[in-house]
Amino acid sequence: MNGITTALEFLPEILVLAGALLVLLLDVVGVRRLEAFGGVIVAAFGAALVAILADLSVAPFAGWSTLPAGSLDVGPVGGSLYAFTSFGLVFQGIFLSAALLVAVASLSRTSNEKGASVFYALLGIAALGMLLVAVSADLIFLLLSLEVTAISSYLLVGYTRRESRGLEAAMKFYIIGALSAALSFYGASLLYGAYGTTSLAVIGHSYPSGGLGPLAIVGYAFLFAGIGFEVTIVPFHAWAVDVYDGAPTDVSAFLAGGTKKVGLFAFFAVFLVPLLLIGGGAATASGSFRDSLQILIAVFAILTMTIGNVLALMQDNMKRMLAYSSISQAGYMLLGVAVATSAALTGATLQIFAHVLLKGGAFLVVAAAAGLGVGPMIADWKGFGHRRPVLGASFALMLLGLAGIPLTIGFVSKFILFAATVQAEGLFLWLAIAGLLNSALSVFYYARVLRTMYAESPEGALTPTEEVRGLAFDGLGLGRAVAIGAAVVAIVGFGVDPQPLVQVMQAAVQHFVTLGI
Amino acid sequence: MTLDPFTTAGLVGLSGALLGIGLFGIVTRRNFILLLVAIEIAINAAVLNFVYFAAFASNPSSGLNGQSAAIVVIGLAATEIAVGLAIVLALNRIRGSINVTEATALKL
Amino acid sequence: MPLLGDSQVSLADWAFLALGAVAVVTAAASLLVRELVHTILWIATFFVALAALYFLLEAPFLGVLQLGVYAGAVTILLLFGVMVTRKRIFSREAATGLRPAPIAAAGLAAVVVGAVAVEVGGVAGLPSSPQPYETTSLSAALFGTYGPWLWLLGLVMMAALAGAIYLVREGRE
Repeated sequence: MNGITTALEFLPEILVLAGALLVLLLDVVGVRRLEAFGGVIVAAFGAALVAILADLSVAPFAGWSTLPAGSLDVGPVGGSLYAFTSFGLVFQGIFLSAALLVAVASLSRTSNEKGASVFYALLGIAALGMLLVAVSADLIFLLLSLEVTAISSYLLVGYTRRESRGLEAAMKFYIIGALSAALSFYGASLLYGAYGTTSLAVIGHSYPSGGLGPLAIVGYAFLFAGIGFEVTIVPFHAWAVDVYDGAPTDVSAFLAGGTKKVGLFAFFAVFLVPLLLIGGGAATASGSFRDSLQILIAVFAILTMTIGNVLALMQDNMKRMLAYSSISQAGYMLLGVAVATSAALTGATLQIFAHVLLKGGAFLVVAAAAGLGVGPMIADWKGFGHRRPVLGASFALMLLGLAGIPLTIGFVSKFILFAATVQAEGLFLWLAIAGLLNSALSVFYYARVLRTMYAESPEGALTPTEEVRGLAFDGLGLGRAVAIGAAVVAIVGFGVDPQPLVQVMQAAVQHFVTLGI
Repeated sequence: MTLDPFTTAGLVGLSGALLGIGLFGIVTRRNFILLLVAIEIAINAAVLNFVYFAAFASNPSSGLNGQSAAIVVIGLAATEIAVGLAIVLALNRIRGSINVTEATALKL
Repeated sequence: MPLLGDSQVSLADWAFLALGAVAVVTAAASLLVRELVHTILWIATFFVALAALYFLLEAPFLGVLQLGVYAGAVTILLLFGVMVTRKRIFSREAATGLRPAPIAAAGLAAVVVGAVAVEVGGVAGLPSSPQPYETTSLSAALFGTYGPWLWLLGLVMMAALAGAIYLVREGRE
């Protein structure tokens, strides 16, 4: 009975794991078709997403929940390794949307490509690691789940084993990932030394009474650096551009839209609990510690935004420009952590979801364009808007969304985030001003791409570099067309009517603030 | 936890020195095998911390928590080495070089 | 407060200090020697020194694991890596060798760390006596309370296995 309850609690994870195992099994028995592997993983991701939405009681799946009744209304039990919270479930939904977009888009890659089974199996395992990060209530559980995702993503980056670019990016990613793991585990070991446990809930609750010793402070500093590498906080950001640039573009979409967000959730879980709890029932001494921690994170947020934006302005390569803009977006999300009110957290969560759709979608369009024969430089996109009106318009919409133009989800998330920052008053007013200035700055490089795409006329003819599977959609491929189309619909849909999405996220953040991770 | 502050400083000095050597290696060494060695040294610093703090934990369940963590981290580090070697072998086959600076355009 | 030269310093304290020193020196040496084969020897010694530290800390199971996994398996893996890429390694500058600047930096760092440790109070040693744990209770904890960690380790290994085999397998086109 206990085993069945656990299995039902972990239903989404089990579905994804079963998908990954089935793909490897199909490979062993001799199936070689990309559609078979892709179909299994897409089905597994889709079923898991339905299970998560059901657990969150989202219509029309409400009532299908497999969690024991009322289990979302209690906080994590001290000492338990994992906990199901509505905040975690919302993030599971975000992670799975990213993975699902990439899985669908990859269906239209070159036919009978070698390694399709390994690609989809690793995508499944990486997604599984992401799901597990979102339920962790223990430091070691969290870091191990991060490693599941990390190790699968090194291999995903290098899975085109005949191209040295991908393998070089994989090597660089691996070195940075191993460095980040070493720093994180060292920090975790110091926290264990300070509190005698690795349970996040117990560690978080020891603050008000026990305070922070030197061991704990140094431990948190190491964890900040280790997780900072994953989230690409400046000064731990330099690797991301090379890796996103060198990886196969489908995988870049997964890294920017998916694995980076996992690091952000880890950041929330490790750092927000002390921030919120100390602020909760605190003596004045720990209150001042909270203030200085907030200012520290705010400084990192501003640095990350500004440096990411300035470097993005100077890029001539499309993927590198998107990668730097991705770094600056991490700064906006950190802003929510620094402010640490429930409104700001709602904004940050929305921003993360928006970034999955906008940046993940943009990388998918770049992948599709590369298949159509567009070169890697921004100048190669000359007249793309005239050449491919629909695809060009989708890309333009995504860039406008990233810049925060109204009627896209990017506007909604930035609006809520900045409004919450202004409401927090005091020093945070400056934070909001810095954020707005950065948003204005980012408009420049997005506008530059738009001008190249629309104001300049195309030169020469494009020669497609890829053969496309199945229904061609004018050389685009069915999978990519569906994935990009779904992203566009979600960007506009949630941009015009954000209310349902905002309500779910507000409720989840409220749970998180009152119950903890 | 009843840790003697004096000896804790000594332990953190030892594991900190090991972590420092590992990080130094990761930053300065360009040969991939040496990078793997440096990564192992850095992770072993964390394992040493877990074992030490577990040995002087205030109660048995806390100590077992640390020792279990040490076991899991040892397993994880060994797996990471295997993945690193796989990447380096694949790269070696197509490029004939396993030096990081030769293989990548940008420095770390 | 066991200090060097103090009459209360026990044998275990001296052993801890000596093994710690061996670990630091071998770790540094493994990254500084010129030949990769020597690196493997030094790092193997480092792993054995850490295993001895674990025995000293009354964690015999961890010590055996350290010997088996690191001194055994990881060392062999690294040696294998050196052998496979050997031709190229010996024909180029393999390890960067000993250059004065990094050594000076490492020496300075060691002095600083040592000074901080002494300043904060005392050097490494064992407070009272370390707590031993029955291997049975350790396995009960590892497979009971902390079982989920092992699931995750299994997932990591599954991803590593699937990907690594694919990467190094010669493609049959």
